[in-house]
Amino acid sequence: MKLRTGLTLCALCLLVSGSAFAEAAPPRRIVSLGPVITEELFLLGSGESVVGRSHYCTKPEEARKIEEVGNVVELSTEKIVALRPDLVLTTGMTDPGPVEKLKRLGIPVMEFPQDNNFKGICDSFLRLGQTVGKEKEARELIRSAEAGVNAVRASMPSKTKPAVFLEIGLDPLVTITKESYLNDLIESAGGTNVARDARRSLYSREKVLAQNPDVILIVSMGFDGEEEKKTWQGYGGLSAARQGRIYIVDSDLFCAPTPLSFVKALKVMKEMLGPKP
Amino acid sequence: MKHRSRKWLMWLLFLTVIASGVAALALAAGPAGIPVRKVFQILSGRGGGIEQTIIWDIRLPRLLLGIAIGGGLSLAGVILQGLFRNPLVEPYTLGISGGAAVGISLNIVFGLHRVGILTMPVAGFLGACSVIFLLYVLSVKRKVLSLHGLLLTGVMINFIASSLIMLILAMSRGKDLQGIVFWIMGSLDEPDGSLIRLALGASVFFLAVTYFFHKDLNALALGEEEALHLGVPVERTKRLLFTIASLLIGVSVAVSGMIGFVGLVVPHFMRKMVGHDHRILLAASFLAGGAFLVFCDTLARTVIAPLELPVGVVTGILGGIIFIFVLTRQEPGGTH
Repeated sequence: MKLRTGLTLCALCLLVSGSAFAEAAPPRRIVSLGPVITEELFLLGSGESVVGRSHYCTKPEEARKIEEVGNVVELSTEKIVALRPDLVLTTGMTDPGPVEKLKRLGIPVMEFPQDNNFKGICDSFLRLGQTVGKEKEARELIRSAEAGVNAVRASMPSKTKPAVFLEIGLDPLVTITKESYLNDLIESAGGTNVARDARRSLYSREKVLAQNPDVILIVSMGFDGEEEKKTWQGYGGLSAARQGRIYIVDSDLFCAPTPLSFVKALKVMKEMLGPKP
Repeated sequence: MKHRSRKWLMWLLFLTVIASGVAALALAAGPAGIPVRKVFQILSGRGGGIEQTIIWDIRLPRLLLGIAIGGGLSLAGVILQGLFRNPLVEPYTLGISGGAAVGISLNIVFGLHRVGILTMPVAGFLGACSVIFLLYVLSVKRKVLSLHGLLLTGVMINFIASSLIMLILAMSRGKDLQGIVFWIMGSLDEPDGSLIRLALGASVFFLAVTYFFHKDLNALALGEEEALHLGVPVERTKRLLFTIASLLIGVSVAVSGMIGFVGLVVPHFMRKMVGHDHRILLAASFLAGGAFLVFCDTLARTVIAPLELPVGVVTGILGGIIFIFVLTRQEPGGTH
């Protein structure tokens, strides 16, 4: 009797672990529709499982060889289905219609919305690692990124926190609020974001002048950053203009936050927010 | 008489052949690059695998929805242009589409679409219906539906609606903003099969219903008073035709967003081709509208594949060019 119970238990265990193994089988044919997701998949060493990508998934260089299935927001359902993926990864920006279609055709879809801060970025990265069976690698990378962030925080020289205005759009003026990880980036580098508590990211020039930030960062996405810098420099009373602390920032580095690029961006940010030599 | 019906029959035959050709093209062309022989195999029931899914579950639903929306919008255009005796009226003039767009935008902003993707067309249709109701109530005075008033009110409602959408866009957050813009651009990529069947059923049904009014439409083309003298129950007919056209527009816009130009250009084009008699004009416009939209969608899917152009871009550019071409080539004095 005992033996039988034991055997049954063993069989059950096998069954359970078997199904667990079946579940854990990592996807082999992934379509990634987010530049950050693609970059992270390569960081995790799962780049060769990516069979389809969005037009903007161009990092790292190897990713360019993968077949395109759309841009970030629009995609060709037909092209994706033809690639026979066993997992499609979308961002929060992907058009919901085609995504729904893919789900109805029985293709597993996972959404990775943009994260609000470093912790969120790491959590998403870990979730991605678990999904593709690279949890250990993910944890290691996160650990090194956290170490990097902590090192920057520890080496913060001044106690005064410069007020920062970060501009990502012109006409209308668009900034970032506390809902963006860029806010976390500013705060981790020892600054305060003047638009932190704004309800929307649309902002007015008048308000910026009234808040008189010490630093203005222009993340130029499709507009002339130099021209914009001159506009700000034209305001004589503006603290950032007087101190010459208006910077144009590399949008590539600042707008694709993997845990590792966050650290890189943080180092650059710290340089800019730190005391002027 | 006999000569005329033979001519009409030839036209219908011709348009059916064109429509079938376009449909075949739509099934055969796409970014997945399935060879034509394979497509035939799959359509005849042989062959399987992923190609089968692509043709039956992705290309065919789009084709059917294209016929439904293109046909429905053109039909609505014929009815409205006949009813108002105004060549500039089209399905999007009366603000019904604007109402649908406001409905959808509110749905997105309030996050109802997270409950289920089906709330989108429902919200759109409710928006369209509220505008239809408003238009109707505002334009009926002493039991007479004033078409002039209807048109002006409709144009104003359209302006108000587009300003409201701007307002919603200005106040919404990134992701919502994107959802609204997507929807406004219009697409035939509809995941829900039952909605496609509904749109197709509605447009064919209304085509049939409109045929009961072909004589009245012909009479109304002479003017309301003349139609009354010819024994047409003008008030009843106007209301019914307005309702039919409105519902067609409401369904089309709710299911596939704003796909412009089809409802304006196709009726004009067909009037030049087959003449002004609604007996042939209704069916011809339906067929031509369906074929035109399916053709435009096929282009939209393939020109910059794997990216997709918004189909409204293709209908606008292609339709506009064809229309100007036809208009400038015709002899002076022959305008509608």
